[in-house]
Amino acid sequence: MNQPLGRAKGPGPTPHSFLFVSPDVEQRLKVGEFITYEASVDGTWQTILARVIERRPLRLYPDAFSGDPQIDPNHVAAIVGYSGRTSELFEITAEVIGYYDADLRDFINPRVPPHVGTPIMLAEDEYLSMVLSRVQPGEVGAATIGWLLSRARGEVPIAIDVGAVASTHLAIIASTGAGKSYTASVLIEEMLKPNNRAAVLVIDPHGEYDTLAELANHKALGSKRYRPEARIYRPGDVKIRVGALEQGDLRYLLPNVSERMSYVLGRAYRRAQQMSRSRSQQEDRWTLNELDEAIQREGENEEDSFDRGSANALLWRLRSTIKTGRDQIFDDQEQTPLDELFRPGRCTVMQLSQVEARQQQVIVAALLRRIFNARLRTKNNSVDAGDDYYLPYPVFILIEEAHNFAPAGADIVTTGILKKILAEGRKFGVGVGLISQRPGKLDPDVLSQCNTQFLLRIVNPVDQARVRESVESVGRDLLNELPALTKGQAIISGMAVNTPVLCHIRRRHTPHGGEDIPAPEEWVAYFDDAHEQMRQRDAAPLQQPRRRSRLFKKE
Amino acid sequence: MTLSLGKIVKSNGHTDYVCQIYGVHEVDVVPQPDNYALGTFVSVELTGKHAGYLVGLIYDTVLLNPDFGRLGPRLSPERELMSFAPDYLNERAVLVGINAIGRIDGEGRVYQGVPLLAANSDALVQQMTVEQIQGFHMGADGLNLTYLPVVVQQDSPLAYHLARTVLAQLADLLPDYQTELAVLADDLNWRTQIGPMGGMQ
Repeated sequence: MNQPLGRAKGPGPTPHSFLFVSPDVEQRLKVGEFITYEASVDGTWQTILARVIERRPLRLYPDAFSGDPQIDPNHVAAIVGYSGRTSELFEITAEVIGYYDADLRDFINPRVPPHVGTPIMLAEDEYLSMVLSRVQPGEVGAATIGWLLSRARGEVPIAIDVGAVASTHLAIIASTGAGKSYTASVLIEEMLKPNNRAAVLVIDPHGEYDTLAELANHKALGSKRYRPEARIYRPGDVKIRVGALEQGDLRYLLPNVSERMSYVLGRAYRRAQQMSRSRSQQEDRWTLNELDEAIQREGENEEDSFDRGSANALLWRLRSTIKTGRDQIFDDQEQTPLDELFRPGRCTVMQLSQVEARQQQVIVAALLRRIFNARLRTKNNSVDAGDDYYLPYPVFILIEEAHNFAPAGADIVTTGILKKILAEGRKFGVGVGLISQRPGKLDPDVLSQCNTQFLLRIVNPVDQARVRESVESVGRDLLNELPALTKGQAIISGMAVNTPVLCHIRRRHTPHGGEDIPAPEEWVAYFDDAHEQMRQRDAAPLQQPRRRSRLFKKE
Repeated sequence: MTLSLGKIVKSNGHTDYVCQIYGVHEVDVVPQPDNYALGTFVSVELTGKHAGYLVGLIYDTVLLNPDFGRLGPRLSPERELMSFAPDYLNERAVLVGINAIGRIDGEGRVYQGVPLLAANSDALVQQMTVEQIQGFHMGADGLNLTYLPVVVQQDSPLAYHLARTVLAQLADLLPDYQTELAVLADDLNWRTQIGPMGGMQ
C-alpha cells in the first residue's frame, strides 16, 4: 500500500501551491515529481494531483560537523546526544494540478489547499499512466515517446496526443547535442506507427534524417497490413515550379536588388504572369525564360539609360541565381506533386543540405504556401482529385533549424506563411513542428504559437529567457531544470499532454543520423597500418607498361 | 503501592510547589534518590471532598544544609551529635520543586494543564504508580500530552531536558504510542542537542 511521504503544512507562496513537511528518507520527492492527496470537493472525495516545485531543508547540522571529510556528521551529532532518524527534514512546495475529470479528460483545480496534516502520497504509477497523457499508449492518436523521468524505465509511459500536435503545432527546442533531432525522429516513428499513419514532411537543411529510410523495414513500426514508407528527397529530386514563386520570393532571392531593379522586376513579373495567363489560363505557369524576356522588354521600353542598366543588372542577377533544369530544384514545368510528398503512412524527408540559405528559405516558403492553399481549396471543395492543389488529408511538416525560417526581428519570405499556418492551419489540417537550437533567434510570436513544446537541455541564458517568455504552460520550477537536463531528457508541455512532464525519451527504432564525426578516432586511425599502406600505395609513381619485345612485333 | 516522598513546605506560585523529602526517622520507608529523580510524576493531595489530587512533575532538586559555611569551633565531634542533639542533624533536607501539570479528581476524571485547585502546606506528596501515570495520559481519544507546552515554556535551562525525560518515560509505559512520542522526542532532541551547537532549526 502507498505510504504517506509527508504531511501538509499549510498554504504555499502562490494561490495554487501548498507546503508539506517530509523527511524524504528515500529521496523520492525530486523537483517535478508527482504527489497526490485526498480531499473532499463538493462532497466527493477526489485524488488531487500536485507537483513538487521546490524543496528546502528545515534542519541542517552545524557546518563544523562536516569539518572533517573522514567523519560522518551523523556520528558527531550522536556524540553530542542526537541520534534521531530525521536529521534531514524538508519543507516541500507543491503546486496543485487538480483532480482528473474523465469526461473532460483534463484536470480541475480544487482551488483550496489541503488541510494541515493531510497525508501526502507519492502518485502511483498506474494513476499517473492514466492521467498524465491525454491518450493511452496504443490508441489512435497516441505517440508513446518515452516514460516519466522520475519513475523507473517504462513504468509510466508518456503518450502525447498526435491530434493536438498536428493541429496546434509543436516546438522542439534544445541546445546542440541535447538530442532534438533524435527526439524528432522518435516522434516521427510514433506518428508513422499503425495507430497513427501520419502524413509527414521533414524539412532537413543538414541531412540528419536520412536514416528514417529504415522506417519501412522495422517490425515495431508496422503491422500485418501496414508498413510505413519513408522517402528521402535530395536536392534536385524535389521540383519547385518557378511560376510558384512570388514577386517577394524573387526579390529576396536575387542579391542586392535596388529599388529601381525592384520596380522593373515588379513590372516584368506582372508581364510574365500575363504571358502565362494567355498561354495556360493560369497566371502561375510562367517560365524563367518568360520572366527573362519580360525583364528584357521592360529594359527596351525604358528610354532612360539608367533604367535599361537596372534591367540588365536584374537579368544578370536572375540568370546567375535561379537556374532550372535537370539537377536543379526550380523547374519551368515540373513540380513535385503534393500527393507524392504527402501520403498517410509516409514520411518524406526533404534534404536541403548544400542548398544556399536564401534558396532554402524561398523553397520552404513556396512549399508552405502551396500546402496551405491546397488544404484550403480541398477543404472548400474548390479542387478535385488530380488537381495540383488537391490534398485530401491533414499533413504535418517538421522544420529543422526553424530559426532560419522565422528569425527574430526580421520578416523574411517564410515568416508570413509560417505565421499564417500557425494561426489558421488548425482549421485546414496543416500542422507544423519547429525545431531549433537557438530559440533566442526564433521569432517569439512564432514560438508562442506552437502549443506543444518539447524542451530539452538549454544552457544559453538568452535562449532560456526566450523560452520563459514564449512558453506559458511550463512553470518556472521546470524551466529551471533546463540547463540540468541530460541527453534524452525533455520537458513536454502544452496541448498534447494533460500537464507538463519531465520525460525520458525512448530509444529510436531507426538508427540515428545526427551523430557527430568522431574526430579523435579518425585522427588516430590515420596512423594505423592499413591507412599507412593506403597512403603509400596512392603516393607510389605509376609504373610505365614495359615495351613489348620486338620478337612479337608484327612486321 | 504508592510511596510517600515528602510534604509540601512552600509554593512559589499557583503551579510551582516545593516539597521536602522525608528523611530518616520521619517515615518507615525512606525515599531513595531514584524515587524523586528529575521528571518523576508525583501526586499532591488536595483537601476537600472529591478534590482528588494534583499531578506534578519534579523539575528541580535543592539540598538544604544549614551547616554550609559554618566554620566555627564545635563542642562535640559530629558522630556524637547523633546521641546528644539528633534534632540538629535533621535540619539538613532535600527539597524538590514540583510543577503541577494537572489533576485527577475524586471520581478519577483527568484534567491536564494548569489545575484550578491549589494544594495546602503539608500536603502529602507521593510517587505515582505506573497505572496512575498511564491513566493520567490516556483520554478517550488516546494519548494526551496537553501539559507538554507548559513544561517546555518554563523559564529554566532544564525545561527541554525535563520534557525529554517525560517522553522517554512515557515511551516505556505506553508502547502503543512510541511512534508519536518519538516524533516529539526527536524534535526536542534536535532543539536541545543540535540547535545550541549552531544547527539550523
